[in-house]
Amino acid sequence: MIIKAEDRIRATLRANNTHIRLLLAHPMHSGRQMNADNILINAEFIQDIRCWRNENEVLVIKCGGGTSQNPYFSFELAGGEVGDTIAIRWVDNLGSKGNMDTVVDS
Amino acid sequence: MNKKTINIQRRILIKKSLSASTMAMVASSGLLLPQRVLAHWPTKAFNAETVEDVLLALLGQADISSSKKLNFSVGKPAKRIANGGSVSVEINSELENIERFAILVDNNPFPLVMSIDFSPEALLPLKTRIKLIKGKSKVIAVVRAGGKLYMTEREVRVDTGGDI
Repeated sequence: MIIKAEDRIRATLRANNTHIRLLLAHPMHSGRQMNADNILINAEFIQDIRCWRNENEVLVIKCGGGTSQNPYFSFELAGGEVGDTIAIRWVDNLGSKGNMDTVVDS
Repeated sequence: MNKKTINIQRRILIKKSLSASTMAMVASSGLLLPQRVLAHWPTKAFNAETVEDVLLALLGQADISSSKKLNFSVGKPAKRIANGGSVSVEINSELENIERFAILVDNNPFPLVMSIDFSPEALLPLKTRIKLIKGKSKVIAVVRAGGKLYMTEREVRVDTGGDI
């Protein structure tokens, strides 16, 4: 199956802090789920998500199989200016990787 | 060909075969597999089967302080959740110097859902979504800030369980 959904990221300034919203397109199979024929689906879940602001690592998220499908996160970074670069990198248990960059909007 | 050149050639052959076999060994041992990049994933904590074991593996032994400083909400509306496949969770707090935040669910086969490391630049509130199985479960939030642990829990009921 080809998943066509894309990872999404939005970074805005809210009350002088940078507010980041993040939606990753990933099935997050924990390895204990069954498909329609009662056969186990292989584990495939994101293990590590990292967020950078202008080359500084600011947040590291370690996920297990209990995270929902298409994981969503929102959090804040202290301060920040319009035009800061926010970068996200993720890796799942099979070694697949994803990355995306965005610029902080007003 | 005199004896000396034969010796040198023999040495070169030995050297070459040795390095080739070493490389084969390294490749077969799995050191070059991409999974090994993730050496920092806390396997022990994620594979622990009880809440106590997770806390011990992830945060070490520490006294747990009052939980009144954490604002933690699970589900919208809270307490009774229709779909356990995607339950929104929000944590907020006035605490400073937050180092780590973890979400645990006591009824899941492996309680630890996620663990988040904060740099001094990162702030709460943080929102995310988790999976819960059908029935009652306790969702536990643990925050380590300034070397102290703060823990709080919410009991929720789920009508349709998520596939965990």
